[in-house]
Amino acid sequence: MQTESITNTTCPACGMLCDDVNPTKTTCAKSAAFFAQANVAKPSIAGQTATLEQAVKKAAELLKQSTQPVIGGLSTDLTGFRAAYQLAGKTKATLAHMNAVTTWRNTKVLQATGWQTTTMTEVKNRADVIVCIGTDIVKHNTRFFERIVWPKKALFVDNEDRDIVYLGGEGLDTSHGTSPKGKPATVLPCDPALLPEVTAALHALVAGKQLTVDSIAGIAVKDLADVAERLLAAKYATLIWVAKDCDFPHAELTIQQITQTVVELNKTTRAGALAMGGSDGDTTVNYAHTWLSGLAIHEEVLPDHDALLWVNSFSPDKALPTTDAPLIVIGNPNIALEKEVDVFIPIATPGLDAPGTMIRVDSNVILPLKQIRETDLPTLGEVLAQVEAAL
Amino acid sequence: MIILLKNGKVYDPAHGKDGVKQDIYIRDGRIIDKPAQTDHIDETIDLNGKVVMAGAIDMHSHIGGGKVNIARMMLPEYQETLQYHEPEAHICGPHCTHDATPSTINTGMRYIEMGYTAAFEPAILAINARQAHLEMGDTPMIDKGGYAMLGNDDYFLRLLANKADQKTINDYVAWTLNATQTIGIKVVNPGGINAFKFNQRRLDLDENNTHYAVSPRQILQSLSRAVHDLGVTKPLHVHCNNLGAAGNFQTTLDTMGASDGVPMHLTHIQFHSYDTEGDKKFSSAAAKIAEGINNNKHITVDVGQILFGQTVTASGDTMMQHLNANHANPKKSVIMDIECDGGCGVVPFKYRDENYVNALQWAIGLEIFLSVEDPWRIFLTTDHPNGAPFTSYPHLIRLLMDKSFRDDAFGQLNLDAQAMSNLTAIDREYSLYEIATMTRAGAAKLIGLRDRGHLGVGAAADITVYTEQADKEAMFAKPNYVFKDGQLVVKDGDIVKVVWGKTHTAKPDYDQNVEKGLNEYFDQYHTIQLDNFKISDDEIAADGRNQVVSHTK
Repeated sequence: MQTESITNTTCPACGMLCDDVNPTKTTCAKSAAFFAQANVAKPSIAGQTATLEQAVKKAAELLKQSTQPVIGGLSTDLTGFRAAYQLAGKTKATLAHMNAVTTWRNTKVLQATGWQTTTMTEVKNRADVIVCIGTDIVKHNTRFFERIVWPKKALFVDNEDRDIVYLGGEGLDTSHGTSPKGKPATVLPCDPALLPEVTAALHALVAGKQLTVDSIAGIAVKDLADVAERLLAAKYATLIWVAKDCDFPHAELTIQQITQTVVELNKTTRAGALAMGGSDGDTTVNYAHTWLSGLAIHEEVLPDHDALLWVNSFSPDKALPTTDAPLIVIGNPNIALEKEVDVFIPIATPGLDAPGTMIRVDSNVILPLKQIRETDLPTLGEVLAQVEAAL
Repeated sequence: MIILLKNGKVYDPAHGKDGVKQDIYIRDGRIIDKPAQTDHIDETIDLNGKVVMAGAIDMHSHIGGGKVNIARMMLPEYQETLQYHEPEAHICGPHCTHDATPSTINTGMRYIEMGYTAAFEPAILAINARQAHLEMGDTPMIDKGGYAMLGNDDYFLRLLANKADQKTINDYVAWTLNATQTIGIKVVNPGGINAFKFNQRRLDLDENNTHYAVSPRQILQSLSRAVHDLGVTKPLHVHCNNLGAAGNFQTTLDTMGASDGVPMHLTHIQFHSYDTEGDKKFSSAAAKIAEGINNNKHITVDVGQILFGQTVTASGDTMMQHLNANHANPKKSVIMDIECDGGCGVVPFKYRDENYVNALQWAIGLEIFLSVEDPWRIFLTTDHPNGAPFTSYPHLIRLLMDKSFRDDAFGQLNLDAQAMSNLTAIDREYSLYEIATMTRAGAAKLIGLRDRGHLGVGAAADITVYTEQADKEAMFAKPNYVFKDGQLVVKDGDIVKVVWGKTHTAKPDYDQNVEKGLNEYFDQYHTIQLDNFKISDDEIAADGRNQVVSHTK
């Protein structure tokens, strides 16, 4: 199995799950970094190298002693999550994902009012007005504009007829919003913390309300009204946000303004909301948790616990959680153990060292991950099955 | 290992057996002939006085895939009503809300407890098929399968608009069945979901999708013909245009004639049987619809009965669900355009017996059940969870089998609705034989499961044993024994063994050249590779618990 021979593999480095990736030729820095990872590491117990059997035994001991374990992080794919779900059942552990805070910014809107959404292939083929709200998207999903907004061909819209707007946010890379022939995007920046006001104003304007001020958060109301008019005139408008970029209190209310603007647009024309971003299998884990248990994943990143099993396959650079409880880390072989953890077990990374399955950020599309090189590392499922057997 | 089920009263319509006292022998998961005297019988269960039927088959129940999971995620409040500390909590009445959005685990458990051994997800979005199979793979106890939706996908509509020949359509339909690992094809609001993306708000049978200049009638003709030509047993599964709209019965009657006599199955027909008479401009067209069914032998239907209580409607029909979202209760909903393939609409709903329209919907469903003459062509469904959770089937069976119970329930309805229904004038009570036909033999025959739904020699030993009692709801809620593939899995209402069931598919042959056009289309317009659209047997069976069974003729 040679990386060089793989031309169409699925990249799990962000929520977009591009499945046309050649690991050695990818232009996406996230993807390139993902596929260039080393896969050499040894298990350890309290910083001392150990065998897998010893590490598994120690992990099982710690879980056995616990009355309130948490299986957290959950940066993994569907196969790994199923194994974690099973172990949680055996150990009465609570499951939690490292992206819970951003996931719940969206989930709260779903549970309060619902929404009217669209998916990437619809946007690629239909969207004539695209508004990126508080985000440039590319910081999270590098190839979004390349693959979705400016394709070589689309079914119902020409690239030069697309109208791109960046609304809110600052320091964004808006260069990708320029069309292939050089038609620039409309850029209306503002302090991200003022997005609640800007989105409420846009919603009001789309609903036909008059505003009595001249500017909102530094954006001229006439410019906002112009965006509202273009949305109402669009055949298929798309409003996009990234929950991670809505980093202010009660961001769900701002997201709700966006989704309700789409509901308003759909009274007379067609429009869709689209939440982009996603990482570390957050969509996958939330969906699978929901069908297995009937409920969405836990609202907290780190629920109360007296032992923590932390799973992190995809973000080796992410800091380990802060906890006073025993900490078992199972994950990417390149995780920087900046502090001593009770147990560390390196595992095969799905999409690189192991096959797997993942759900794309816009939901509905589920893609297989390929194993593209050999490894001696066990999978998360294999490790957790051994832990379960040792309980 | 041979198990003998002795002295049971067997209801096996596939073999014309109507309460015949008969012994059944099981070996290696199958029903076998009476073994030789020298063969050792390992276990004998005396079923004297018990009713024996094949395991029930739900031919239309939304048990897996994106829509249901959105409903789960959107409605956490439905789970809060589940009283886990109550031992009887799993025996659900028609008013339970948690069973509107059960987890996959609970789905399998609740089905098997009622003696159902298979359920078919009727609305698999092709692009979402992998998720549907993942969810069904996490559904224990029962066999599964699904129908893939076509007819609103841009690929198909382009073929039709470009006047592709029937062979090309057939190849695409066969390819889709193979790629999505499904056993049938469904069309939802033919052309309407797609038309909604072009901002059309309604679509009648002979009205064109404005972009493609293609009508629902053409779509029905093309797809029903393809399914028929390919030798797929399950007829095209049709969710008609104009779901839920007053006066839609004419569309439904016209749809029966749209396939020129080629078999079609019209699903949740209750939602498509509304007239516009009376002060409220909403009335029952059940008599006309039942007459249409009785006269059109190529048509089968399932009812989609509503029962009162809180539930959620999950449908591919974005066009009509967008309208229905105004009636959402609680007031939230999801409407989604998906991948140039289809859409989904999830709208929570509370059916109330004091509400005129809801009360009449209840009566219309029962009027259809009781007016369609041939139990082989009508199937017992609530369109779970759209009309009610599947856990209310025992209650529905009692409504069909017990006129006085039904009339008492009718007496509780909104008075204006009572005045608009002739339900109490219908004396028919379903027999156990007819119930067994609708829920077993007929369903298996419709889908093409030759070794399920009956108790003949060679059949898979999916067997349910009930105690006959006057209260048919109690009888059907809690069988004494359920066998799945020959293993005793439920005893006196309790699950005694966890099994995982199989996935049933149809895999008709097709011309491999079909992938040329598809490859080009995926490369240009889609956002995934064609190869990743296709689901292999291994993906479904790799976990070691599941198995793909193909029922190609």
